Amino acid sequence: MSKLSNRPDWADDEELDDSTSGLPPSTTTTNKDGTKTVVTWRLNDEGKKVKTTRRIRFTVHKEVVNPRVAERKTWSKFGLSAKDGKGPAADTTSIGENIIFRPSTNWRKDAKEEKTEAGSMKDKLKDKKVKCRICNGEHFTARCPFKDTMAPVGEEGSADVAAGLADGPEAGGLGAVKGSYVPPHMRNGGAASAGDRMGGGKYERDDLATLRVTNVSEMAEEQELRDMFERFGRVTRVFLAKDRETGLAKGFAFISFQERSDAAKACEKMDGYGFKHLILRVEFAKKAA
Amino acid sequence: MRPTLLQGHERALTQIKYNRDGDIIFSTAKDQHICAWFSHNGERLGTYHGHQGAIWTVDVDPTSTMIASGAADNTVRLWDIKTGKCLKVWDFNTAVKRVEFNEDGSKLLAVTEMRMGFLGTIVVLDINLDVEAEQSNEKVMTITCEESKAIVAGWSYLSKYIIAGHEDGTVSQYDAKTGEQLDNVKVHDLDITDLQWAPDRTYFITASKDKTAKLINTRDLEVMKTYVADTPLNSASITPKKDFVILGGGQAAMDVTTTSTRQGKFEARFYHKIFEEEIGRVRGHFGPLNTVAVDPTGKGYASGGEDGYVRVHQFDKGYFDFTYEVERQARQQQQQQQM
Repeated sequence: MSKLSNRPDWADDEELDDSTSGLPPSTTTTNKDGTKTVVTWRLNDEGKKVKTTRRIRFTVHKEVVNPRVAERKTWSKFGLSAKDGKGPAADTTSIGENIIFRPSTNWRKDAKEEKTEAGSMKDKLKDKKVKCRICNGEHFTARCPFKDTMAPVGEEGSADVAAGLADGPEAGGLGAVKGSYVPPHMRNGGAASAGDRMGGGKYERDDLATLRVTNVSEMAEEQELRDMFERFGRVTRVFLAKDRETGLAKGFAFISFQERSDAAKACEKMDGYGFKHLILRVEFAKKAA
Repeated sequence: MRPTLLQGHERALTQIKYNRDGDIIFSTAKDQHICAWFSHNGERLGTYHGHQGAIWTVDVDPTSTMIASGAADNTVRLWDIKTGKCLKVWDFNTAVKRVEFNEDGSKLLAVTEMRMGFLGTIVVLDINLDVEAEQSNEKVMTITCEESKAIVAGWSYLSKYIIAGHEDGTVSQYDAKTGEQLDNVKVHDLDITDLQWAPDRTYFITASKDKTAKLINTRDLEVMKTYVADTPLNSASITPKKDFVILGGGQAAMDVTTTSTRQGKFEARFYHKIFEEEIGRVRGHFGPLNTVAVDPTGKGYASGGEDGYVRVHQFDKGYFDFTYEVERQARQQQQQQQM
């Protein structure tokens, strides 16, 4: 039927509009890849036409059931469901989010780890003391009396720690010169401080005190690694490679320490350490090509 | 696994039952209708209307032709599953907290509440499984619980005994023919909230407010296993196919608003039936679990919560594959011996 002949005369528009006959018929086309495209038309509450296009893939799932069960499936509905169509009604039945349920004897341990991750910041910081990065005193760096006169302990500036906590090393260079853009060549030209790392020097600094940890469990979390390695010294950066889709760890991580000596100690101690059923392999990160 | 959420009730769930083939789920809640659902896709077959009060309990006969329900309107009703028609109403003096068909569906027991000067009783009714037939009015037998009221009760194997769980934590065994009390054992410290049978009814599991569930032998009421939880339990169920039990609980409804969901412990807990060890939990409800029921074919389970939802779960492969090291070893040895 051509589109034109199907369309009602404009004069009849008023009456026909609220009957379904004013709507184009629904069409079903089979696509090459085996899916079907179903186009249906309906009127919404405001009387406007709504076109719904659905692409559907049918998979036939055969199940052999007891004849009594099969017979019960054909029963007509009654009570509050008497008016429901075939199949589950949207107002009474919905599908919940996927739950991963894998029985395991040590589930309690797994759950506990999950809980500590989710634990409040307060708990995490409970036994951490405030330590000034300039004079190692028990106050915030910003409140340090030597703030303007002394360089921080260790040659790295305060931006370094900020970089460690932020998501990537790139943030480091800019942290020092807040707000304004510094072109790459200027960063190198500047005083040999935070800016230095931004460009070519980035890996040099990292490589000195960065450990590559491999054979990490899928279930590992960055915080757990941080906790583990923090025992050996200040950890400036923890990077755990994760799968974008599943969110599971890919099995390797990089841990940057502030001091190379701490890194060396950690490398020695943690190599071969058992973590979540796997034996960690820890080595110094190799220079990126 | 992806649970199916059934929202047929506006109030807290009280009991869920699967029929014997595991294809239909019946759910009752404190609102006044019973819902029947297809378990495979969560489609609602229908609702049963007639009760005038909170419905406490439902049971389905072994042939899936009728269901019986007990409610706070002091009645037990018998319904035709297929049409939703009420076939019979029995009146009692007090609310009915539990009904259960015996193994062949020829008898029904009803547990009545102790209230208004009436003692708690367990009443047995004769059932004719023909939908057309006239049901008898007569209460065949009445067991009066003088010491402590019964909360739950059920028929043992071959309808030989009636086993009841009481408010004071005792379990008693009655002769199903004469109603005489044969045994009475204190197994729990607090009220028994649920009693569900193993498929062959030779043992059963009880859940209690004292935070434990126990596996008890029907014949001599010997406690075979104890499952310790950290929250009062409302329901417990034995899974066929795998040697697990599922416990449901959570703190009392009145304390719920003052604690977070995480602390609320609104999870179904899976324990290994033999090793008494917890092997996992399933989250999802945001209120205590009032009832759990297992598909008799072992493919899934359903839980009903104070939040008014029924969540139907179909187990996936990980569930069926799980075995203890010792189980695997035993199986290997067996195979080697056969060769």
